[in-house]
Amino acid sequence: MSLYGSAVKRPIMTTLCFVAVTILGLFSLSKLPIDLFPDIETNTIMVMTSYPGASAEDIEQNVTRPLENTLNSVEHLKHITSKSRENISVITLEFEFGYDIDVLTNDVRDKLDMVESSLPDDAENPIIFKFSTDMIPIMLLSVEASESMPGLYKILDDAVANPLARVDGVGSVSISGAPKREIHIYADPARLEAYNMTIEQISSIVGAENRNIPGGSFDIGSETYALRVQGEFKNAQEMENIVVGSFNGKNIYLKDVATVDDSLEERAQKTHNNEQQGAMIIIQKQSGANSVEISNKVMEMIPDLQKRLPADVKLDVIVDTSDNIRNTIDSLVETVMYALLFVVIVVFTFLGRWRATLIICITIPVSLIASFIYLAITGTSLNIISLSSLSISIGMVVDDAIVVLENVTTHIERGSDPKQAAIHGTNEVAISVIASTLTLIAVFFPLTLVTGMTGVLFQQLGWMVTIMMIISTTCALTLTPMMCSQLLKRGVKHGKFYNLFFTPINKALDALDRGYGKLLGVVVTHKISTIIVLTAIFIASIFLLRFVGTEFFPTSDNARLGVSLELPIGTRAEIAEEVTARLSKEWREKYPEIKKLNYTTGQASSDNTFASLQDNGSHIVSMNIALTDPGDRERGIVEIAESMRQDLKRYPEFKKAQVNVGGSRGSGMSGQSTIDYEIYGYDFAETDTIAQRLKRILEKIPGTADIIISRSDYQPEYQVDFDREKLAMYGLNLSTAATYLRNRINGNIASLYREDGEEYDIKVMYAPEHRTSIADIENILIYNSAGNSVRIKDVGRVVERSNPPTIERKDRERIITVSTVVNGVPMSEVVSASQAEIDKMDIPTGISIELSGSYEDQQESFSDLLMLGILIIILVYIVMAAQFESYVYPAIIMTSLPFAFTGIFLLLFISGHNLNVMSMIGAIMLIGIVVKNGIVLIDYIALNRERGMSIRTAVVDGGESRLRPIIMTALTTILGMVPMAVSTGQGAEMWQPMGVAVIGGLTFSTLLTLFYVPAMYCLFAAVGVKRTRKKLRKALAKKQQND
Amino acid sequence: MKSIFIAFDQAHYERIVDMLEHNNCRGFTAWQEVQGRGSLTGEPHYGSHAWPSIASAIITFVEDSRVDNILSLLHQLDVESPKLGLRAFVMNVEKTI
Repeated sequence: MSLYGSAVKRPIMTTLCFVAVTILGLFSLSKLPIDLFPDIETNTIMVMTSYPGASAEDIEQNVTRPLENTLNSVEHLKHITSKSRENISVITLEFEFGYDIDVLTNDVRDKLDMVESSLPDDAENPIIFKFSTDMIPIMLLSVEASESMPGLYKILDDAVANPLARVDGVGSVSISGAPKREIHIYADPARLEAYNMTIEQISSIVGAENRNIPGGSFDIGSETYALRVQGEFKNAQEMENIVVGSFNGKNIYLKDVATVDDSLEERAQKTHNNEQQGAMIIIQKQSGANSVEISNKVMEMIPDLQKRLPADVKLDVIVDTSDNIRNTIDSLVETVMYALLFVVIVVFTFLGRWRATLIICITIPVSLIASFIYLAITGTSLNIISLSSLSISIGMVVDDAIVVLENVTTHIERGSDPKQAAIHGTNEVAISVIASTLTLIAVFFPLTLVTGMTGVLFQQLGWMVTIMMIISTTCALTLTPMMCSQLLKRGVKHGKFYNLFFTPINKALDALDRGYGKLLGVVVTHKISTIIVLTAIFIASIFLLRFVGTEFFPTSDNARLGVSLELPIGTRAEIAEEVTARLSKEWREKYPEIKKLNYTTGQASSDNTFASLQDNGSHIVSMNIALTDPGDRERGIVEIAESMRQDLKRYPEFKKAQVNVGGSRGSGMSGQSTIDYEIYGYDFAETDTIAQRLKRILEKIPGTADIIISRSDYQPEYQVDFDREKLAMYGLNLSTAATYLRNRINGNIASLYREDGEEYDIKVMYAPEHRTSIADIENILIYNSAGNSVRIKDVGRVVERSNPPTIERKDRERIITVSTVVNGVPMSEVVSASQAEIDKMDIPTGISIELSGSYEDQQESFSDLLMLGILIIILVYIVMAAQFESYVYPAIIMTSLPFAFTGIFLLLFISGHNLNVMSMIGAIMLIGIVVKNGIVLIDYIALNRERGMSIRTAVVDGGESRLRPIIMTALTTILGMVPMAVSTGQGAEMWQPMGVAVIGGLTFSTLLTLFYVPAMYCLFAAVGVKRTRKKLRKALAKKQQND
Repeated sequence: MKSIFIAFDQAHYERIVDMLEHNNCRGFTAWQEVQGRGSLTGEPHYGSHAWPSIASAIITFVEDSRVDNILSLLHQLDVESPKLGLRAFVMNVEKTI
């Protein structure tokens, strides 16, 4: 017995099967984590090799190049970039997406083993470092404090960081901006000299005094006692009275040569939140943990943590990445719900019966919920892609059910019993329902085969839609006939409401059918001119493409701005802080949209994991701005960023300034697009000049902002050139001399001071006022092993030098990158304008300029998608040709595809959107949806012809009777997409272009297909008929001759 | 003894078998799927792309006295849903074993 036969005969089994699937789906849904995008596996590996003492150029020649040459042969490598700076070489290997990073890491390790022997002897073994997205902090908390500022680090470490680190899934919690306590022993060089003492002596004496030493145990009578010496300092001031030496028979106390200062570390990052000094707590997740879950737990804990803190310390959230995820997913869920509502309304309006509407609409939740099972099994999340797939599918999953229901209804109206009608009605359309599903699968299944960055995103879309289509077809062939047999009745009597509401609708639809029939009559008579006019429209629309710009991904508004500012190299942290405070004040007054503004200045200490991964230095300022929700403000994030860039131009103090939409520059799919101009060339001076010229050119092109040259400036520094001969004369060597220098300026950690279970460094160094000039350095005394002293100026010279910048390479060539953010205009415009200018430049031989950044990604994705489009068209043709058993009919339907593109360009142009990956995906989906209209039309016309009608009557009658189903299915899809296209919630920028593309393409193509396909059919059918007649005539003539 | 050949749209199948049962006609032979077309009106039942509907056929042998009743019942069924199509033909049975 057939599938639908048994489904109708066993309603309980059918119902319960689907109930089971639904329950499983809902169960899966409750377990699904939410995220912004599907898991994007990392594709970068870093190889770090240090070679102490080597200059940038030495590193490049002796470490980076041999490594690069070997690593270049690793499979699936996309780009190899490197940075060679003093002491260290960092090579970054970027692989194609979609390969197992562990296997690649092993390959890299094997290659490193091969090359290790050819590295310089002093170079250390290369270290492999996998970079992953997990390193991006998921939450930043701000801490405001006033009185508690000096002890803030300890307070936060105990009361906030430790409890947070215990939360499940939290990787690390670091505190920045709260300096740690440190005990300084500030020595006076003049007194040291007078008493013939050194920093090293003091340091070792302090270390020796600050000890607890166990003395073993001893017995007194019947008891055993432990013996101990408790020498550790109870408080810092105790140190002042240590005897550090003797001079002329008298004791010298520490207080005689130095002061003890119990305070905070000297060079630390400072953080300001809304102009008040405080700290920042950075939370990173463990790899694979779900950021939304962690953030929920953290948010729950904050009120508790707040209670444990002193009254003046206030915790707040600056950045919560999960906030954006939650809002985006919420607004997408909303659009899915609206889509559902619209589709139900369309179905109800066309069918006019609530029972029929129920039968059809039940397939929507069933197929949508069933797809959650797939998500749960594959371990992915509920994200933009999976939810967009739901939104796209809502309009399509009802189509099969509509076809089945319509045929069953026809049977019932002809007098069949509902049960019989359900079986026979389904039987008749089963093949065409499966065929039309196959065309859609032919479109969506290839999406699962895309590779690269786009592949990661669209594999899920492909699988989701394919699965939903299969389920909806199964539904249409089992659940729908079963429900028809149970719910539909013969000879339905319509109520008052129906007459009131649906009589006018039906009249209007009938009039539409008739009008279309008449128009079709005209079209069929003038078929050639119709085809010419429509082709002309298509050709005209191609010119429109010129006005529609292209880009990679739309910029989305996640209410987060990252500003990175750079003062001239070597600027003191205090000055950076002062300027930034002014800027911060101005911005907070000027932009009421700013919810939270936080900035960090100064050099990070080396034990801050998060800060040391970022660029930092006394001249660098990094700022995080949280804006209010996009719905609550009038200005968009791009507009605010642009206005901020203008403000920054009025601050000459800043040498480089970037305002990054979405937090960080060129952050893949959410930030503003960037175009990188890569200048390849060996000579520093030449490439520098080209880079400067390019920067000036780009500045003149409208739509560029934040232009940055990657190569940093020569960094000024003081170096001490020791004269080795003189050092030898005094019995010294270079490292002894250098250590003396370091201990006086940077300080020497003498011991650790313990208090309440915490340890603090005790640092011995020159007092700050004695290390402010070159003379101070020149006068440093160095002692040899015989105890004789010599000043630095006697054995060496202090000179000012510039440190050559980092040497960057890409694909084994030296490179300098000029990168610009694309702001306000389509990326394609900036590219073509700059390309024209670059062509005019006279570039010396050996130097070349190439484009990369988002532009490269866009080009790759577009060519991927284009290939995919072609593959899909071929597959769809094959499915249709198999169904019609004809080469001509599918070809006619295929030629109606260009009108979809006309519609896409037209609506993108009108709505001001660009052609990007999202709208391209919309276009690809259209291939499947648009041909469906053609199939329905041609199928019925062919049927009419088989029933013996003339070409003309078959076309007009077929068109008239198929108009309603075509409009209905098109409307369900179009209205299903409307919420996506017009939604304004967070993240809406992302899917708007897709919605717009589908709406434009489908509306336009549906309208034109209704005339184009019949006209084409007439043309080809007439040719066919003539050919048959000719053949018959020939055969007849032959027969007559033979006779 | 008469034979009644009934050709009809397959939707009627169960009702006709039920009806025969009610009228004490135990024996019958049925073809679930047959193709055919009425002599005058009605859609062809070809099971093809153009004419997807399919007919069934039943031949039954009954006592002469039951024929009229069955025919009138069949006619009633046909009138109820004329678009489906139902025809019955009565023939003589010459011999049986």
